[in-house]
Amino acid sequence: MAGAGPEGGLAGRGTMEAGTVADDVLRDGRLQGGASGGWAGSAREQILERVRGALGRTSESRARALADIAAALVDRGHGPRPPAAADLVERFKRESARMSSTLDTVTSLQAVPEAVSRYLAAQGLPRSGVVWPSLAGLDWARAGLTLEAREAREGDLVGVTGCFCAMAETGTVMTCSAPESPATASLLPETHVVVVPATRIVQGMEEAWQLAREEYGMALPRAVNFISGPSRTGDIEMNIVLGAHGPYRVHIVMVRE
Amino acid sequence: MRSQAMYFKVRAGDKLADRLLQQNLAKARSKFVDARAAAVAAYDGDFEALRSAGQGIRDRVLENLDLWLETFEERARARGAEVLYARDGEEICRLVTGIAQRHGVTKAVKSKSMLSEEAGLNAALTAVGVQPVETDLGEYIQQIDDNEPPSHILAPAFHKSREQVADLFARAHGKPRKTDIPEMTREAREVLREHFLSAGMGISGGNFLIAETGSVALVTNEGNGRMVTTLPDVHVVITGIEKIVPRLEDLATLMRLLPRSGTGQDISNYVSVLTGVKGEGDRDGPSHLYVILVDNGRASLVGSEFQDMLRCIRCGACMNHCPVYQTVGGHAYGWVYPGPMGAVLTPLFTGLGNALDLPHAATLCNQCGVVCPVRIPLPELLRRLRQRQVEAGLRPRGERIGMRAWAWLARRPRLYRLATRLVVRYLNWLAEGADRIRVMGVAPEWTAERDFPAPQGRTFHELYAQRRRTGEE
Ligand code: SF4
Repeated sequence: MAGAGPEGGLAGRGTMEAGTVADDVLRDGRLQGGASGGWAGSAREQILERVRGALGRTSESRARALADIAAALVDRGHGPRPPAAADLVERFKRESARMSSTLDTVTSLQAVPEAVSRYLAAQGLPRSGVVWPSLAGLDWARAGLTLEAREAREGDLVGVTGCFCAMAETGTVMTCSAPESPATASLLPETHVVVVPATRIVQGMEEAWQLAREEYGMALPRAVNFISGPSRTGDIEMNIVLGAHGPYRVHIVMVRE
Repeated sequence: MRSQAMYFKVRAGDKLADRLLQQNLAKARSKFVDARAAAVAAYDGDFEALRSAGQGIRDRVLENLDLWLETFEERARARGAEVLYARDGEEICRLVTGIAQRHGVTKAVKSKSMLSEEAGLNAALTAVGVQPVETDLGEYIQQIDDNEPPSHILAPAFHKSREQVADLFARAHGKPRKTDIPEMTREAREVLREHFLSAGMGISGGNFLIAETGSVALVTNEGNGRMVTTLPDVHVVITGIEKIVPRLEDLATLMRLLPRSGTGQDISNYVSVLTGVKGEGDRDGPSHLYVILVDNGRASLVGSEFQDMLRCIRCGACMNHCPVYQTVGGHAYGWVYPGPMGAVLTPLFTGLGNALDLPHAATLCNQCGVVCPVRIPLPELLRRLRQRQVEAGLRPRGERIGMRAWAWLARRPRLYRLATRLVVRYLNWLAEGADRIRVMGVAPEWTAERDFPAPQGRTFHELYAQRRRTGEE
C-alpha cells in the first residue's frame, strides 16, 4: 500500500499534457523556475524529508510503522460513542426535528408521491422540479407533480431524492453521488424532499460507513454527503437564518412498511 | 497575508477604544460559550472520553506523519486527484494560479480556507486576471468590505453589526438597503448563486484528509462548501499536511467533537466526504481535483516541543472562551489565526520575533485548555513561547534589565530585605495613607485602568522577624 517513493511519485505519473505555462508549475508541485529542477528539489520531497528528519525516520522504523498503518486501516474499532438508541426510528424523528427538518411517515413506497404532493400543497410550494433518476419509477404525475429525472439546475425549485441511509444519532441523511443519484438535487433547489426507508436508519456514522463499505467496497462514491436539516448561517450578528446557499427546508418522507 | 502581529499592543488599544466594536463583541460574547456548554451538557455520552479519543487520533497521525501522507497521497491519486505540495504561501499562489491558467479559469468561487488567507491567495489570483469570490457569507462580507481580514475562524464577520453589513450590501449590490437579516441573507444568496454557476474553479479548504480512502472531508453549514466542490469543473483543495486522519471511523469520532466545541451544534448541516473526480456517467461534480498539501511552517513543529499544536482541528473554541479575545476581537492579533491558537501559531509560523506580544496576550487562565476538543495544552505552549523569547533575547531591554536586576537582588538576602523594606515604605507614601494607589509611575498602563493595592504595614520578613522575637521573649 503506502510507499510512494520518488519513483512512484508525481514525476512518474505522466498525465500532464505538455506545452502550457502551468505545466511547469504543476509538475512535482515545484516552484516555477525553481532553482533545482530535479526531483530532489521538489516541494514534495523536501516537505517529506523535513517530516522524516523530525521524526528520526529509519528504514527499520519505516517498515514497522507501515505495518502498523496497514493494520490500523483495516481495524474497525471506534472511539467512545453515546449510548445506542433503543428505538432507531423514534430517535431519528426526534433528532431530525431538532435539526429543523420536517417529517411525514407513509407505509409504502407507492404512497410517497401523494405525501410529497400533500407537503408541497400545505406549504404553498411549487409542484415541479427534479427527482433522482433512481426514483423516476414512482408515479409522480398521478400525484399532480411534474418532476424531471435528472441533476438539478438553476431554477429548479424542488428536489426529491432518496438516500443511502440515515443516522438516528443526529437525524442525518447520507447521500451518495452516482448517475442515478446526482448531488445537485439535494443542494440547488429551495426545497429538498428526501425519501428515507425506515429499514435504512442506522445508529450513527460508524454504521453508515460500514454499510458503505459493504456496498461500495474500498471505492467510495465521489461525493458522500451527510445532510442534517436545511442550510443555515449565523454570520450576521450570530442570528441563525435557515436557507443560506442550500435548501431553505428539508422534508423527510419516511417509508415504514 | 502580511502579518501585523508585531503591533498587538497598539491594535488592542485601538480595538478597546472602538465603541461600536465593543458593542458588537459584547453581543456575541456569551453566544458561543453558552452554545458549547449546552451542547456538551446535552451529549449523552462521555465528552471527556471523546476529547481523549480526539487527541489520540490526531497524535497517532503525527507520530508517523510522513507515512500517513504517503498513504493518503497514493489513495487519493488512485481516484484521480492530483496531489501537490506547497512549501509556503508563495508556492500555494503559484500552484493555484498555474492551475487556473491551465484550465482557462477567469473566476474562482471559494469556500473558507484559512490557508488561502495565510498565502494571500486572492491578491495573487486577481493579479493574473482570475476573480476570486468568497462564498461563506461572513468571508463574503469581509471581501466586499475592502478585503478586511476575518476576525474569527468560524464567523469571519461577527464583529460587524447588521447596520454595517446593510451598508456594505447596499453599496456592493446596488439594491435598496435592507436591515432584515433573512432578507439580507437572501440577497447575498442570489448574488453568490450567480457566481457559483459561472465560476470555472472552486477552491476549498479541507477539514480532514482521510488516509483510508484518499478523501477530503469538508464541514459547512451554509452549503457553500458543497456548491464550490460540486458545480465548477475544477476543484482545488488547499490544506495543511497535518490534517490527515486514519479512517472513516475516526472522522465519526472527530465529528462528535468539532461542531459541539465550535458552534455548539450536535452536527454541522453538511459533512461532505469527497473522493476523486466525476465518474463515468456522473451528472455532476468536477472533472479535475487538485489537493495541495501545505507545509508553511508545519513540518518544523513535528517532533518539537510544540507538536501538540498540530492536533488543532480549527474549531474556534479556544478563542470563543478567551477573555482577551472576547475583549479585543480577532483583528488585534494581526494575522490569520486569532485567540489562543493564533497566539501560539502566529509566532511559530511567522517567526518568534514577528509576534512578540502574542504569547503574552493571554491571562493563562486555562479556559482554552479546558475546552480544546483535542486537549492542546495552550497555556503551556504559550509559556514555552515566552521562555523561547527570553532565551532568544527578544524581550524589551527594560524588561531584560529589570529581570536581571531582580535576579541579582534575589540572590543577596540582606540587600533584598533592605530593598523590599524601602519599596514598601515608598508605596505607602505613594498611597498617601489610603489603601490603594491611583497612579503608579513604573506601571502606568496597569494603573490607567485600575488602582494598585497599597501594601499593608510591614514586609513579610519584618513580620517574621518580629514574631520570632516576641515568640522567644
Ligand atoms: S486549539 Fe483546540 S480549541 Fe483552539 S481551535 Fe484548535 S482545536 Fe479548537
